[in-house]
Amino acid sequence: MTFSFKRSLMAAAVGVSAVTLIAGSGLAQDNSTVVVAQAVDAYTMDPAKHSNFPTANILFQIYDGLIAEGENGELVPALAESWSNPDELTWRFKLREGVTFHNGEPFNAEAVKLSFERALDPEFKAPYFSRISHIKAVEVVDEYTVDFKTEEPFPTMLLSLYEASFPALIVPPAYAKENDGASIAAHPVGTGPYKFVEWLKDERVVLEANPDYWGGKPAIDKVVFRPIAETRTRIAELTSGGADIIVDVPPEDIAALDGGDTKVSTIASDSLYFLAFDTTRDTPLKDKRVRQAINYAVDVDAIQAALLNGMGTRIALTLPTNAFAYDQAWKPYPYDPEKAKQLLAEAGYPEGFEIPFMSRKGRYMKDSEIIEATAGFLARVGIKANIQYLEPGVWAQVSERKGREGITFPGWAGRDPQLVWAPLLITGQYQSYFSNPELDELLKAGASIIDPEERKANYAKAAEIIKEEAPHLPMIQPPLIYAIDAKLNWTPRSDGIIDLRKAHF
Amino acid sequence: MADFLISRLLYAAAVLLGVSVAVFFLIRIGGDPSALFLPPEAPVEEIERFRRLMGFDRPLAVQYFDFLGRALQGDFGMSLRYDQPAMKLVLERVPATLQLGAMALLMSLVISIPLAILAAAKHGSAIDRASLLASLLGQSFPAFWLAIMLILLFSETFRLLPPSGRGTWQQLIMPAIVLATYSTAIITRLLRSSMIEVLQSDYVRTARGKGVKESRIILSHALRNAAIPTLTVIGLQVGALLGGAVITEEVFAYPGVGRLAIQAIANRDFTVVQAFVVLMAALIVTINLLVDLSYGLLDPRLRKGK
Repeated sequence: MTFSFKRSLMAAAVGVSAVTLIAGSGLAQDNSTVVVAQAVDAYTMDPAKHSNFPTANILFQIYDGLIAEGENGELVPALAESWSNPDELTWRFKLREGVTFHNGEPFNAEAVKLSFERALDPEFKAPYFSRISHIKAVEVVDEYTVDFKTEEPFPTMLLSLYEASFPALIVPPAYAKENDGASIAAHPVGTGPYKFVEWLKDERVVLEANPDYWGGKPAIDKVVFRPIAETRTRIAELTSGGADIIVDVPPEDIAALDGGDTKVSTIASDSLYFLAFDTTRDTPLKDKRVRQAINYAVDVDAIQAALLNGMGTRIALTLPTNAFAYDQAWKPYPYDPEKAKQLLAEAGYPEGFEIPFMSRKGRYMKDSEIIEATAGFLARVGIKANIQYLEPGVWAQVSERKGREGITFPGWAGRDPQLVWAPLLITGQYQSYFSNPELDELLKAGASIIDPEERKANYAKAAEIIKEEAPHLPMIQPPLIYAIDAKLNWTPRSDGIIDLRKAHF
Repeated sequence: MADFLISRLLYAAAVLLGVSVAVFFLIRIGGDPSALFLPPEAPVEEIERFRRLMGFDRPLAVQYFDFLGRALQGDFGMSLRYDQPAMKLVLERVPATLQLGAMALLMSLVISIPLAILAAAKHGSAIDRASLLASLLGQSFPAFWLAIMLILLFSETFRLLPPSGRGTWQQLIMPAIVLATYSTAIITRLLRSSMIEVLQSDYVRTARGKGVKESRIILSHALRNAAIPTLTVIGLQVGALLGGAVITEEVFAYPGVGRLAIQAIANRDFTVVQAFVVLMAALIVTINLLVDLSYGLLDPRLRKGK
C-alpha cells in the first residue's frame, strides 16, 4: 500500500514537472509566437502617457500613427495615405479609408483630431508634449481629410507624427475617454497589427495577431514582451529558448551568439556619441583652437574598433548619417596628435591643462569605456580630463541649471538638424553650451524653411561653421545590437523601435 | 502585557513616522522626476510647466504634510510613471515577493536548523568544520554573482531551469536559492554557537549526570534555549528577504516589489518609493513585534516578569 502510494506520488511529481518544464521554457519554441525580452516592462498602455522606449515598442504593435518609418528609414504612409502643404502653415493628410479600431470604432478625421486634442491638452500632462506642441490645431476637412495647423512653418512635421513621437499614435476617441482614460491605460485598443490580450505587471504583455489589419494579417500569431533587466539573463533566455528577440547585447557577446540556434542583428542607431565642450565658462575650451585640438587628439576610429567591435557609423558632424541634410562628403577631423599639440601651443597651452569631464555611466552602451579611452588620448597631448560620473537624476538636475562643465558626453538623437543642432548649438538653448550669432541665424532659418532643397543649402552653410568652430567632437552613431532566434526573420530599425509587422519564421 | 503592547505600538508608530520623514526628504535630494520623465529635448520652460502641474514646485514642508495627511488616510498618491495609485502598484507585487521570501525562508530553515544541531552536537568534528566553512562562504557570496552562476549552470549549460520569470515552481528555485544562501549561513552560524554555549552550561552537565538521553538534551534543553537569539535573527532575516530581494528579483526578472522599487528610485517616482518604504517599514516593525511576543512563548520567565 505504502509502496504503491509512494510510487504514484512519484509518478505524479514527474508528470507535473515534465508538463511545467515544457510550459516554462517552451513559449518561444513554437513558430507562431515571438517573445521579445527588453529591459523594462510597459508603464502604461496609453501611448500619450509615457516617455519610455520599451513601452513604445509594445504599443507600436497595437497602435498606428498617420505615417510610419519604412524599410530604408524613409517615412511612408500608414493611417494617412498621402500629404501635402496647401500653404506654409498647413499640413494636409488624406486618411486611409475603411480602417477600424480593434473595438469596432471607425478610424476617420474625427479620430485623428480627438487623438491630438487629447494629448495637446495641458491638463493631460503628456510627457512627450514638446514633440507635438508645434501643432496649434487639427481641423477636420472631410471624413478622411485633416489639416494640421502651425503658427510658424514646420518642416519637421512628419517626424512629429511617426511612431517615435509617442503621442502621435492614434487612439479610438470614444474609448480613450472611458473611465477618465483608465480603460485605455489598462486595456489598449488601436488599429495596429496586434490586439491586446493580457498584461501581467513586470512579467509579460501578451498580444495576438489582428486578422483584419489594414496592412495585412501579420505572420506571427502571438507576441509576448517580457521585461528582463539583466543582460546575462536575457542572453540565457535566448539561448535556452525562452526568448526570440533580445535587446542591448554587449559587443563582446556577439561572437558567442552569432551562430547555431541564434544570430546577431545590428544596425547603426540614430543616436549620437559625441563630446560637447562648455564654451560658456572661462576655460581653455573657449578657444576654437583648443576645441579643434581635441578633435585632432582623439582617435575615434580606434575607439570604435576596440570598444564597439568596429560597429556603428563614424560621424563627421554631430548628426546621424541618415539625417536630413547630412552630406556624405563631410569629413571628421583626422587623428593627428602632433597637430593637436601644435594647436594647443598656439592657443597658449603648450603644457596642456586640466578640465572636468562630466557624464552619466551606463546610460549608453560602453559609455564609460569610451570616456576613459578618450581621456587617455587627451592625456597624451597634455589635457588632463577629470572624469566625474553623475547619477541620471543628478545629471538632469545639473543640466537644468546649466551646470555641465568642461567636456561632457551627453548623447543625443534626432534625424534632422532642427532636432539636433537647434537644441544643442543655438545660443542660450537649454542643452547648448555654445554661441555663434551667424550659426544661430542659419539654424533659426532652417526651422521654418519648407522647401527641402533650400533647407539643405541652408544647413550646408551651417555645417561649415560647425566644422570650423568645433563645438563638439563628433564620434559615432553607436550600433543597436539584438540577438535573435536564428530561424526568425526580422530587421532592426535605426531609431530603436521594434516593429514586428513584417517579422516571420 | 497590555502595557508592553501599548508601548510597543507607540514605538512602532514613531518608527513609521521617522521612516516617512527620512524617505520623503532623502528621495528628493537628487532632484525631482520632471526632467527625467520628459524627453531630453524638452525646453526648460516645458520642464517648469510640468513641475508646476505636478506640484513639485511647492515648498518641501508643504509637500510633506500633504503627503502625510493623505497617507494617514491610506492614500499614497499616484505614480508619475504608471499613472496609477502608488500603493496599489506595490501591493500588486507583494504576493510574488511573499512567495519567493517564504520559499527562501523555508529552504534556509530546513537546511540551517538540522545542520546547526548536528554541528553543535558533534562540536569539533569534520561536519562541524564543514558547516562553518559553508556558512562563511554563504555569507560571503555576492547575491548577484551567485545568481549569474546559477543561470549559467542550470539554464545555459544543463538547460534544467528557466532563467527568469514567474509562474512555475521551476522559476522559483534559483531565486529562492540565492535569497536563502545568506540567511541559511547566518542562521546556521548563530544557532550552532548558541547551542554549543548551552551544551557547555552547568544545567546540561547536571542533566547528563542524571543520565538524560543525549538526544533529549539536545532537542529539548539546548535547542529551546538557543532558540531565542536565533529567533531574533530569523525575524531580521524575514525583513531582509522581503525588502532585500532587489538584486535577486532584478537578475531573475522576478516580478516582485524590489524590482518595482529600484525602478521607482531611478525614475524618482516619489510616490511609489514612499509607498514601498513605508509598507516595508510597517512589515518589519510588525515582524519585530511578533518576535518580541514569541519570546514569552519560549521563555516562561519573560512572560511573568516584565
